[in-house]
Amino acid sequence: MNMNVRIPQPDRCIACATCVAVCPVAQNCPDFPGPRMMGPARQRFRLMGMGEDEASHYCANCKNCDIACPGDVPVSAFIMRAKAEICKKNFPKLRDWILAHGEVLAHCLRFIPAVFKNFGMTFAPARLLLDAIGIARKASLPNFAPQAFRARLARLAQPNLSRAVVFFPGCFVDTYEPESGLDIVAVLNRAGYKVIVPGTTDDSGAFVCCGLPMVANGFWQDARDNARRNLKTLAAWAAKGMPILTACPSCALMIGKDYAEYFPALIAPGQSSSLVDVCDFLIGCVERGELALPAAPQKVETVFYHAPCHSRALGIGLPGLDLLREIPGIQAEYADSGCCGISGSYGFKKDKYPIAMRVGAPLFEAMRQSGATLCASECGTCRVQMRHGGGKQTVHPVSVLRRYLG
Amino acid sequence: MLVVGSGMAGLIAAITAASRGKSVRLAARGAGHLAVGNGCVDVLGYVDGEIVRGNPVDSISRLSGDHPYRRIGAETVAESLAFFARLCAENGFDLAGGNGENQWIPTALGSFKPTWFYTPAMNRETLSMADRIVITHMPWLKDCHADMVKACLARQRRLMSKDMYIEETAPFRAHRNLTPLAAARFVDTEAGERWLLSQLLQCLQRSSSGRRTAVLLPPILGVTRSAEIRARLSEALDADLIEMASPPPGVGGLRIRRTLLRAAAGVGVTVMENAHVVEARVQGQRCVSLVCDATGGEREVKADSFIIATGGFLNGGLVAAPGGKVCEAIFGHALPAPERTEDWTMPDMLDSQPYAKLGVQTNTRLNPITPEGDALPDNVYFAGRTLAGYDFVNEKSGMGVAIATGYHAGMNC
Ligand SMILES: Cc1cc2nc3c(=O)[nH]c(=O)nc-3n(C[C@H](O)[C@H](O)[C@H](O)COP(=O)(O)OP(=O)(O)OC[C@H]3O[C@@H](n4cnc5c(N)ncnc54)[C@H](O)[C@@H]3O)c2cc1C
Repeated sequence: MNMNVRIPQPDRCIACATCVAVCPVAQNCPDFPGPRMMGPARQRFRLMGMGEDEASHYCANCKNCDIACPGDVPVSAFIMRAKAEICKKNFPKLRDWILAHGEVLAHCLRFIPAVFKNFGMTFAPARLLLDAIGIARKASLPNFAPQAFRARLARLAQPNLSRAVVFFPGCFVDTYEPESGLDIVAVLNRAGYKVIVPGTTDDSGAFVCCGLPMVANGFWQDARDNARRNLKTLAAWAAKGMPILTACPSCALMIGKDYAEYFPALIAPGQSSSLVDVCDFLIGCVERGELALPAAPQKVETVFYHAPCHSRALGIGLPGLDLLREIPGIQAEYADSGCCGISGSYGFKKDKYPIAMRVGAPLFEAMRQSGATLCASECGTCRVQMRHGGGKQTVHPVSVLRRYLG
Repeated sequence: MLVVGSGMAGLIAAITAASRGKSVRLAARGAGHLAVGNGCVDVLGYVDGEIVRGNPVDSISRLSGDHPYRRIGAETVAESLAFFARLCAENGFDLAGGNGENQWIPTALGSFKPTWFYTPAMNRETLSMADRIVITHMPWLKDCHADMVKACLARQRRLMSKDMYIEETAPFRAHRNLTPLAAARFVDTEAGERWLLSQLLQCLQRSSSGRRTAVLLPPILGVTRSAEIRARLSEALDADLIEMASPPPGVGGLRIRRTLLRAAAGVGVTVMENAHVVEARVQGQRCVSLVCDATGGEREVKADSFIIATGGFLNGGLVAAPGGKVCEAIFGHALPAPERTEDWTMPDMLDSQPYAKLGVQTNTRLNPITPEGDALPDNVYFAGRTLAGYDFVNEKSGMGVAIATGYHAGMNC
């Protein structure tokens, strides 16, 4: 037996129900029995081979249960493992495969121009087709970028700088929002760091999707394969003592925390698989004097900031908000309105869309009440949901900084 | 400064310190007991098993000298309770009680317990003033037994002469695991409020009469809109609605927690969630930083002063190890405890339990001290259930000690 394998212990749960009190899905969907029942309580039956509760598909994997648990019970991990078991037994939905494998899909469609792909996203008959396989017709799906982030970075002439960082772009920035990736590169260059994206700016092995959407949709083995590839690439760069950054809190959480929780056997003894949050890194740059911030402009601009649940789950505070507060002339307004509801691909699903919109309602209301015209959040799909539900321009905090740096 | 723990003690400490102009960060792994509490703030219900009469603050002098209330002084306790009441009022949370003497509020068992602050829906006077009491029977809800409630109420001298009815209600949905929290969430919606109104109308019709009526319910009158829902339903039914305090998840505590989190954000407290503090770095008599176990490894958080409000054994502030050893979880101080674990408990469950009084000993400023009375780091303050010297179950003082010591630490740091 591999001694690395940690067996999850449902008995660490004392059934205090704190997770039920904070779960955004349980708050908005009476059909979901809540994290305690679906996680540790059900786990006792699972260990005895006593069947499954189908309601685990309601879990959005937002991690609010893990954040609130006083006893270190891996609540969401129990539910994700259960989803994987269900997915193994029952043939998974085509819709779930598509949402779990955005990277593969984008790769297959790479020769089709974005205009045609995006036409498919807005064209009514195409949406009917998507609706038929279970993708909500009302959801705003993100647009494919004409060119992926990595393709654009490969052609970008970065200044010659002595220091360098490695960047894990994540699927969202790569496929849908290369601009935010390029903003990050520009700001890091400004701080004196050249940005390396393996397989793009050099010919080493490339990063692949972190695997979180696969886990959330039940494709455990696919996620494990991706984890193995990423861990190999990460180890090689970590051995060079290079900081590895990401702008996506979900990738950071998956790689830095969940890999060890889900696939302990893949982690070599002593290996740390962590990514550094780019906002956190940039605050360090400001403190070390590597990045000079411009003098305060005449006019103060208010930026409305929403903390993604996965940022909160990282346990590092809110560096995105702290960074905005560092920028002279920015008044950062903290939303403090809970989950936005989207949870990656959850809110795009036809049966989950109404739940996601109810979950996000307090945030949308706060956005509308706010005087700010610009909003910020680190997570790509949170931004999609904020634009959709709150109707305001929403960018990554580093994009706000880039605008100020000029 | 850095506060650890986001239960009642940590939140009050953070808000107090930030209101004094301090820059405050609050780190916590877990939400604290308040999130599932019933919303009653007990200050002091019993001293040595005897019921406290009059203002509980006046009975503090009867407690032993190492009780946290005695350490910080009765005046501070009174001040902290006034601060808490103001905080709730300023943030739109309607709190009842807090004057005269303890109020005995109804619990889901049909018993009554003494408390100081409570939600207006728990006011027992409403029962005494009613001519008839309708006990809603919700057999589909966990931990709610109308027969037991009725039997207990009928034993109360002030209530035994009232007409009491049990009226069954139909569930709002079929599920084997419905808690009062699930029901309260449903009632928060328009459909839910309509459902409750129609159920209660039927209850009242069946046992109708023109007299003053009180309707006894589990805590299901909403989480976010509870005050308006109660007002509307009371008017529509021409009856007073009373909620019973229930075991976790108790709904009322969640209502208070939402209020305090909003208040904390309002005074600029920044919250670091899911941050498990695992170690303290101490130089001489000062703590320089605390180390959190976060994604991506250890994270050192520096501050000028630190308030530790990490709760008791349940929430991880205190750790017991085999062989009768107890220590504080972050600094690792060994805490005095009876040598034989047999002596940690008393044979009668309802007696005060020695293990419940284990915790961190402090001076009057709430800095930790050694059993010999020597000061440990003097920029560190302890608050809430981590403190030694009180048994909150037995004396009914849990949230009161959390508020008073959280406030005192926030004022001193
Ligand atoms: C079932 C039950 C019913 C009760 N009913 C009542 C009642 O009706 N009225 C009343 O007044 N009192 C009641 N109490 C008592 C009351 O709830 C407690 O005394 C009070 O909540 C203690 O508050 P606290 O802030 O000290 O601790 P807690 O609420 O326990 O909070 C501790 C916090 O610290 C965090 N933490 C712990 N260790 C670490 C660490 N290493 N790093 C980071 N964070 C950490 C925890 O996750 C949590 O956020 C009841 C208690 C129980 C168990």
